Amino acid sequence: MNQTEALAWIADLFEVLPQKIQPDTKREAIPAWDSLGVLTLMAALDEQFGILPTEEEMQSMQSVQDILNVLNKNGTID
Amino acid sequence: MRFILVDRILELVPGKAIRAEKLVAADEDYFSDHFPGFPVVPGVLQIEMMAQAAGKCLDAEDPARGKAMLARIVSASFRGWVKPGSTCRIFAEVKSSRPKFATVEACIEVEGSRVSDAELFFTFIPLQQFAPGYRDEVLESFLSGRP
Repeated sequence: MNQTEALAWIADLFEVLPQKIQPDTKREAIPAWDSLGVLTLMAALDEQFGILPTEEEMQSMQSVQDILNVLNKNGTID
Repeated sequence: MRFILVDRILELVPGKAIRAEKLVAADEDYFSDHFPGFPVVPGVLQIEMMAQAAGKCLDAEDPARGKAMLARIVSASFRGWVKPGSTCRIFAEVKSSRPKFATVEACIEVEGSRVSDAELFFTFIPLQQFAPGYRDEVLESFLSGRP
């Protein structure tokens, strides 16, 4: 998928409007990205892309760009 | 009111799948309110039946991980009424099971017809959080081979 699709995927995951999600959007600006959201993201990366980051990697993600970086690193984004 | 919504386990593959049963008594208190003249089992209780059954399947896989707790209802649909006196057959299949979370697809059938289904997300709570000596009698009964 491309970056636009990745942003839409993140918006859908955290149940926010797509226009509210940009690479520089911070974690604290996404209400659903709480401790449960971390696990939800972890599960989604695992189930949909076969990506299984460590818990430390998950906790260190502080912005949408960090999620994009994980997707990029694993070749999920074109 | 007790909150044990699985009477017995019929089949269990730890961490993979479970088939369980709940007989809904005809005189459950909540039927007088839900609804007068049209008693049906609330959807939230059907979700809880599925969650309790799925939780036992996960707990049987790796007790040291902690007790499986419902953290998120990803989706749920209610397709038919569950009337007083119904026997609910509860099925759950684990889609992924990791140290910190698990996802499950579950459904309930009554007399061979699907009445509800759900996708559920679980996290795990350390056993130390629970009362000393807390045990899951339904799961233990099945694992020990008792009826």
